Amino acid sequence: MNQPAIVIDSFTPTVSPSSGHDGALPGDLAIWIFIFAEMLAFGVLFVAYAFTRAHNVEMFNDSQLTLSRTSGAINTLALITSSYCVVRAVSAIKHGLSRACAHWLSGAVLLGGVFVAIKVVEFHAKFEAGITLSTNAFYMFYLALTFFHFMHVLMGMVILACVIAKARRGGYSRHDYVGVETGASFWHMVDLLWIILFPLVYIIR
Amino acid sequence: MQTAKNQSDFFSTAIWAALVALTTLTYSIGETGLAGKNVMLALLLIALVKGQMVANYFMGLRHTNIWWRSIVFGYFVIVGGLIAVAYI
Repeated sequence: MNQPAIVIDSFTPTVSPSSGHDGALPGDLAIWIFIFAEMLAFGVLFVAYAFTRAHNVEMFNDSQLTLSRTSGAINTLALITSSYCVVRAVSAIKHGLSRACAHWLSGAVLLGGVFVAIKVVEFHAKFEAGITLSTNAFYMFYLALTFFHFMHVLMGMVILACVIAKARRGGYSRHDYVGVETGASFWHMVDLLWIILFPLVYIIR
Repeated sequence: MQTAKNQSDFFSTAIWAALVALTTLTYSIGETGLAGKNVMLALLLIALVKGQMVANYFMGLRHTNIWWRSIVFGYFVIVGGLIAVAYI
């Protein structure tokens, strides 16, 4: 009596572990707790800036004019484009394209480097001009907010570099990419905060 | 499957282009030196729209539970609203 042969060519789960279509947040939940906490901290600082300005409108407006809006705008474009690169990296890994994922993430880190370089030039110019945290309330907020954000950009670049290294080793697949989404979510938060910070500190008067 | 990826990538590229356009608009308003209540509200509205684009389409919150999306939307409305109150 012949036994029927059971052949399993391949098994492809129809739903990936973190497809993001099940109502859950993309990536690790822990990073989202961190993201919401950081957004809250920045939110308090944004509102504090606005209400402090209400008592010193002329001084805030005069000091704001010393900032380079062009640098701020280029940095906004750098962060937005780097966020786009991260989106493409997540899209690539969802289709099992590890190398493409690593390439897109490398582009994001490179643009993060552009942001960092421009910010360093800006900080250097301010310190050269003798401007410090204690110069006036505007510069106190400007330096504190942008430096706090600057540190988040550096941290994001380190996180993305770790994800790139793992992607290059083939550590992610189309069924396991939570790590990529986790790093991506943090990087998007950095972009999200700058979207408020740029018009608030550089443009609105 | 590849078609779905292409469509998704095309869509995210369109969102990126819109974000670039809105950033250019914000910068242009700054360069013209325009100020006042209406300009301030317009700039905050642009920031709200950009924030929602990043949150929903880049972060992928559009696929999540409405409560998660509400947190980010509420954040922009409350922070933006308080900034507007301070400037008015």
